[in-house]
Amino acid sequence: MRRALLLIFLGFASAAQAQTRWNVSFGIGGGSEIARSRIDTTRERVSGLVLGGEAVATRGKVVARLRYGQGRVTNDTAGRDVAEGEALLGYKARPWLTVWFGPHARTFVVPGQSDRRWLQWSGRVTARGTLFPERVESFVELWQGITGSLNRPAESATGGGAEAGLVLRLARRPVWGRLAYRVEQGRASGGSRRETVEKITLTVGYTPLR
Amino acid sequence: MDPHRLETDRRMTRARSSLALLAALCLLGLAAPHATQAQSAAAVLAQGARAYEDLELDNAAGLLRRALAFRGADALAPRDASRALMYLAATELLREHTDSARAVARRLVLADPRFRPDELVFPPQVLTFYEGVRRATPAVLARAPADTAIRPGAEALTVRLFASTFHDVTATLATEAGRALRTLYAGPIGDSLDVHWNGLDSTGAAPPNGRYSITVTSLDRQRRVVRILRLPLEVTQGRVDTLSHPPPPADSLLLPERQPMGPGLRALAPGALAGVAIVVLPSVVANGEDASAARFVVGGSVTIAGIAAFLSHHPGKAIPANVAKNRAVRDAWRREDALVASRNAERARGMIGIRAGAPVLLTPEAP
Repeated sequence: MRRALLLIFLGFASAAQAQTRWNVSFGIGGGSEIARSRIDTTRERVSGLVLGGEAVATRGKVVARLRYGQGRVTNDTAGRDVAEGEALLGYKARPWLTVWFGPHARTFVVPGQSDRRWLQWSGRVTARGTLFPERVESFVELWQGITGSLNRPAESATGGGAEAGLVLRLARRPVWGRLAYRVEQGRASGGSRRETVEKITLTVGYTPLR
Repeated sequence: MDPHRLETDRRMTRARSSLALLAALCLLGLAAPHATQAQSAAAVLAQGARAYEDLELDNAAGLLRRALAFRGADALAPRDASRALMYLAATELLREHTDSARAVARRLVLADPRFRPDELVFPPQVLTFYEGVRRATPAVLARAPADTAIRPGAEALTVRLFASTFHDVTATLATEAGRALRTLYAGPIGDSLDVHWNGLDSTGAAPPNGRYSITVTSLDRQRRVVRILRLPLEVTQGRVDTLSHPPPPADSLLLPERQPMGPGLRALAPGALAGVAIVVLPSVVANGEDASAARFVVGGSVTIAGIAAFLSHHPGKAIPANVAKNRAVRDAWRREDALVASRNAERARGMIGIRAGAPVLLTPEAP
């Protein structure tokens, strides 16, 4: 299954190469994250700050997106380091609609224990709408896990998520900002383990003017 | 072949046939009343004519009276009504109901003085009978243009009269109250006659605006009034438009005078939808978890941005440039309309408009 997905991913990548030159955008940001774990009847809520960066490369209708973030989430009794990332390849089916595919992963590092890593291959759809032309637009992104895994205990996993928010651009300036709310949930196949993450992020980015 | 399958196929075929039959019956049921209505008067007349030709006279009389009894939109056309009356008069004559035949024939003469029965259809005795009634029933029919304009004294309105038989008539112009203003014609009429009115009364003056009539009185050999035809006229001084007025500017030529709602709503929708999505999606994506209230901050921000975008389009606000442009277009149309009106007034100076109504036939006493 993963091989097939990888082949599709590479197929998109080779199609992208056939296009014209790449246009790359960068962004850095941070946000407040709340993670809720549920293992059988045990519940745990941790929250904290996660900082990260992203790069979006566009070539014609093909888009590639890399995101990485890390931080620490805690509560009164415990704390964890968290690292998360995604690598997506997308296709702009319409000027306002992009379809994505690719993996994303989140790892929780608990001192004295082995890392707990969620990995999901997902399909996504992003819709954008203009509020003020070339200045402000809103977006909604939905994703659904196609296949995935949890490393400890070793189980297959699935999940889904959504992100929505606002993107602001300065007139004739290469700088942009984004305010977004993201919620996602991973579920282990046994049904005993569930991880829900909510995140509000503020990102500032740079897109070279053409 | 499997016998069970064969049996099943047969049942299916029977069921399909029954359904098709049922559908056809339903369609017939729906169509039948319309078909009955559609054949009505003309069909009944045709049946009556066939019954007459088959000498089923009682049946023919009933059918023909039924055909003539239709009123309104279902009534017989004038030409068919004349045929029906002729068949009925012939039927009554052959049934030896001479008085009834004479009454029907007289009714036909008054309705259509120019009607002549077909010599190939009706026997000589019927033709002779109808000819006698026609000669004994002096009546005229008038035809005039429905709407016309003349220059009084120089031009004339022509009214054509058609007579049932040779007799004397007098044609007068009269007020609505019946006061005679001018005698237009007095003398015999044969088959037809043109009566002219030059727009002036007996004193040589044009009558004021109002309702008038041309009254044609039919006289018998003893100079008794046997029929009066009144053709109503409406006379209007100097209001005859010879040039058509320009149509008001079409909507396609006018610019919107107020900011439309559409662009504002198109800007509001993405913000409102994203705001609602932020509030609703946690319950869809993370079912069973209580989402934090912090999402309302983002959702509210997106919604407020959408509302700001909506308001930035100023929906409903007047657009002064478009208002001014539309005013210029309307003013140009008004100027053109006024110019046409003044030209029409200039051309219509000294002209009168005459509108003719439907003629009315009165019978003061039985001839």
